[in-house]
Amino acid sequence: MPIDREHIRNFSIIAHIDHGKSTLADRLLQATHAVSDREAKEQLLDSMDLERERGITIKASAVTVAHTADDGQEYMLNFIDTPGHVDFNYEVSRALKACEGAILVVDASQGVEAQTVVNALLAFSQDLEIIPVLNKIDLPGARPDEIAMEVEQVLGLAAEDCIPVSAKTGAGIPELLSAICKDFPPPRESLGDQTRALIFDAIYDDYRGVVTYVRVFDGRLKVGDKIRMMGLDRTFIITDLGKYTPKQTRVKELGPGETGYFVAAIKTLGDVRVGDTVTLDSNPATDPLAGYEAPRQMVFCDFYPATSDKKGNDFEDLREAMEKLQLNDSSFTFQPVHSEALGFGFRCGFLGLLHMDIAQQRLEREHNLEIVQTAPTVSYKVLVRGKGGISEEIEVHNPADLPDMGQVLEIREPICNVEIMVPNEYIGDIMKLCLDRRAVYKSQQVVGDTRQMLTFEVPLAEIIYDFYDKLKGLTSGYGTMDYEIALYRSDELVRIDILINNEPVEALALICHKDRSVQRGRVLLQRLRKQIDRHQFEIPLQAAIGGKIIARETIKAFRKDVTAKCYGGDMTRKRKLLEKQKKGKDRMKSIGSVNIPQQAFMAVLDTGDE
Amino acid sequence: MTTPLQQLKSTSTAPIVRQLLDDPELSPVRCLYIHIPFCFHKCHYCDFYSLVDTRDRQQPFTDRLGQELAALAPLTQNQPLRTIFIGGGTPTLLQPALWTQLLRTLDDHFNLAAIHANDAEFSVECNPETASPELFDILRAGGVNRLSMGAQSFNPRHLKTLERWHDPKSVPRAVALAKTAGIERTSVDLIFAIPGQTLPEWDADLATALTLGTTHLSCYALTYEPNTAMTARLKRGDFTPTDDDLEADMYEHTVKRCADAGLDRYEVSNFAAPGHECAHNLAYWSQSSWLAAGPSASSHLLDPQGGGWRWKNQPRLDDYLHQNDNGHPRAIDLEPPDPSRLLSEQLMTAVRLREGIDLDQLLENTNEPTANAVRRVAADQLARGCLQESDSRLRPTDSGFLVADGLAREFLSVL
Ligand SMILES: Nc1nc2c(ncn2[C@@H]2O[C@H](COP(=O)(O)OP(=O)(O)O)[C@@H](O)[C@H]2O)c(=O)[nH]1
Ligand code: SF4
Ligand SMILES: [Mg+2]
Repeated sequence: MPIDREHIRNFSIIAHIDHGKSTLADRLLQATHAVSDREAKEQLLDSMDLERERGITIKASAVTVAHTADDGQEYMLNFIDTPGHVDFNYEVSRALKACEGAILVVDASQGVEAQTVVNALLAFSQDLEIIPVLNKIDLPGARPDEIAMEVEQVLGLAAEDCIPVSAKTGAGIPELLSAICKDFPPPRESLGDQTRALIFDAIYDDYRGVVTYVRVFDGRLKVGDKIRMMGLDRTFIITDLGKYTPKQTRVKELGPGETGYFVAAIKTLGDVRVGDTVTLDSNPATDPLAGYEAPRQMVFCDFYPATSDKKGNDFEDLREAMEKLQLNDSSFTFQPVHSEALGFGFRCGFLGLLHMDIAQQRLEREHNLEIVQTAPTVSYKVLVRGKGGISEEIEVHNPADLPDMGQVLEIREPICNVEIMVPNEYIGDIMKLCLDRRAVYKSQQVVGDTRQMLTFEVPLAEIIYDFYDKLKGLTSGYGTMDYEIALYRSDELVRIDILINNEPVEALALICHKDRSVQRGRVLLQRLRKQIDRHQFEIPLQAAIGGKIIARETIKAFRKDVTAKCYGGDMTRKRKLLEKQKKGKDRMKSIGSVNIPQQAFMAVLDTGDE
Repeated sequence: MTTPLQQLKSTSTAPIVRQLLDDPELSPVRCLYIHIPFCFHKCHYCDFYSLVDTRDRQQPFTDRLGQELAALAPLTQNQPLRTIFIGGGTPTLLQPALWTQLLRTLDDHFNLAAIHANDAEFSVECNPETASPELFDILRAGGVNRLSMGAQSFNPRHLKTLERWHDPKSVPRAVALAKTAGIERTSVDLIFAIPGQTLPEWDADLATALTLGTTHLSCYALTYEPNTAMTARLKRGDFTPTDDDLEADMYEHTVKRCADAGLDRYEVSNFAAPGHECAHNLAYWSQSSWLAAGPSASSHLLDPQGGGWRWKNQPRLDDYLHQNDNGHPRAIDLEPPDPSRLLSEQLMTAVRLREGIDLDQLLENTNEPTANAVRRVAADQLARGCLQESDSRLRPTDSGFLVADGLAREFLSVL
């Protein structure tokens, strides 16, 4: 379908989770006849299952469909998925970079939520045209008029521009399609002959290697072209070029304003950087497109194999699995570490908490590994006294690496802008929570009659501790929040060392604010006490700052370690029981002759009771 | 019906028995266990193999048991048995006529001279509710000279927690009936650390048991066995288990209370007046040979070449009734003789026993490195005050008894 630039529309769909992004995308595919009505239900899913079985990545990051508008003109619509969970704003923003417009979906019964706001702000900041859509109007509880007012109040998008739809029944979809053609601007004109295309996503496929998604801004890409990645300065030859319609469809070339994928015998995701500019090796552009910053790892933790045999096979298995995982997800980092308590493992960096959880789950599920994970910490910037009185800044993302406090001039920590959307009645509780978590109040805005949006600056360390759980708990689940890292700021931070039976346990050390240290230390010790079995001797647990004990607990010695019965003649059973117990003990990590179960290292994570 | 999988995992023991019988160096087996797999009702803590409501299968069972006993008997080489123990299940649920049949079978195939002379022990487990002069007379006439009464508790509330069905008043009655019938020795089984039980309540149970004039008490801390109703209820959160410290208090109180009454602890959970220890259980714990008949019964047969055979009869009554290889049922968990395993078993049980073990004798035929490793563990336990030495035997101390599992694991880890 050769289509001129004026009739191309590139857009994303953004929304708070569960407001209907995916369902709406399906409806658009159906309304543009990209899939038949029957396929919309069955075929699509079936072929995905098949792909999944063959281990091919199923995710199509951009879908191209044709649409004949009311005036009879044919349009090419490229809608670009905002990949993954929206917790990773950076992923959303990379999709938005390739678009001129965004459909902002708001659930007409739930209203504007924290993620709605953050995503809308991202789209504004990139000068995208936004079409607000009120979804789920078929629901009895839908309040499209009220929610339209919320959209106007909070986001400044005119209430009358909101399009009411139901992604379930299809109501309002034709109106939405007209608006897409009418309101979204076409891609800008090609600025010159030198080809420039922006990489906005890349996935790994077992059969073809890396599949790279691009949006062409200037010039063209053709099969056989020798391309150059401007940032990484590497060249490849395009072997395959195509689009998803949503079936995979090969094309000969991608012209200005178009979106598609290429395959170029690229072996790992490490060879592709999202945000990089692709140009032609024969006629290279001088300046890259405005890309985006590489994702920064903000949350760090250690992964250790749960079992460790003497030959180190478990560690090698973990390494292999991490390498495989990185083929699929280039946004986490890992490097080997050794800990007294846990042996050999990896220090890993993630974009956020969810990212960390996903990586851990994939390692366990897809690679059949059992992993011990330490509590996550953020990355600190530490100013230390250097040689000759010159201070230098180092990055510390492992509490154990924090230099002696005598050397430290200042510790700076990442601070987030946090948007919190809450029903009015919970505002007091949330204010209290925020102040308790060292938050700085920024602003407050009315959202409809019943809710407010609060904006705070909150240290990331507090967010990864228990902020979100607390927010959900305090608001009976009604509060929503989103955050992005804004700046680094110094505060009175200290390292708490944890001693078990008088031995410091590096893997349990943590950095926290001085004023909260006693409380934090006490809670951690209480949790540890529940995790560690009684031993034959009494075990002191201590939290200390620079040698000074700030909290202590004791695990009493057990008095009895004997089963009542010897099971009559069934000695086999008794022996197996003892052997099993012995194995269980062998699998525990032993520090200062105390057996510490793996869960204990997660005790710091457990935010259940305080 | 046996599933194909069970069939695959089970073994016929007939060839093993034949092989042992062909060995001229085989020592005669002197102990016998018989499992009677019937109960009124399933107690919630129980993981013994037993079936309820099976009156119609009692006759075929007794017939089949007779065949197994006949097949095992040659292993005794007609030497007088030293101990017989009939357990279950609830053996006293067997109808009196079937008891008569069973006792006659024993007389027919085994040498019961020592038993009839009261020089050997013949125990039967008894549910106090089933006690009757008629039954006890039959038992006594068959040579039974010791009854083990399952009392568990005298407190109706705690019996209810255990879902144990009997009237506590039936226990003294049963003990008295045994005396009348001429069965001199009785033992009482009790359970402590029942959820909700206090130390004074446990003390009251102990006191009641001791006033019955028994010369033997078994006091078991409630154990949550896998696949029992009690464990399911625990997991469901129906009750809070007894606190570890309270359980330890109860145990230490038991030891003291029994000692005051003249019953000395000779095994972790067993207390007896001098000479009234259960010889059959001691045979188990010193890894002697014993024959075992009936579904789920476990045997141990020392091999003249060293080590011992262990197996467990298939635990299903239907299988037991229908599988028959020269009188033997099929067995599971077969373990061929292995001297090093026997060594572990001996150490494992020795740390639970007052009589302890003669280490030098035990290690006589053990290779040097292993023997040294065992000696090192023992020396360490001696130094920590968990073991003591007297008459060239190592025995657990008071504190050793309390951590016997830990001591056993330490030995196992060097074997
Ligand atoms: N009743 C109704 N339910 C909808 C509508 N759109 C989406 N849903 C439901 O809302 C839930 C979340 O939808 P989904 O598309 O997965 O949301 P996403 O997380 O934004 O992608 C699903 O259960 C959908 O079936 C709608 O218009 N009406
Ligand atoms: S009577 Fe004994 S064997 Fe029968 S269920 Fe109760 S405890 Fe188990
Ligand atoms: Mg979705």
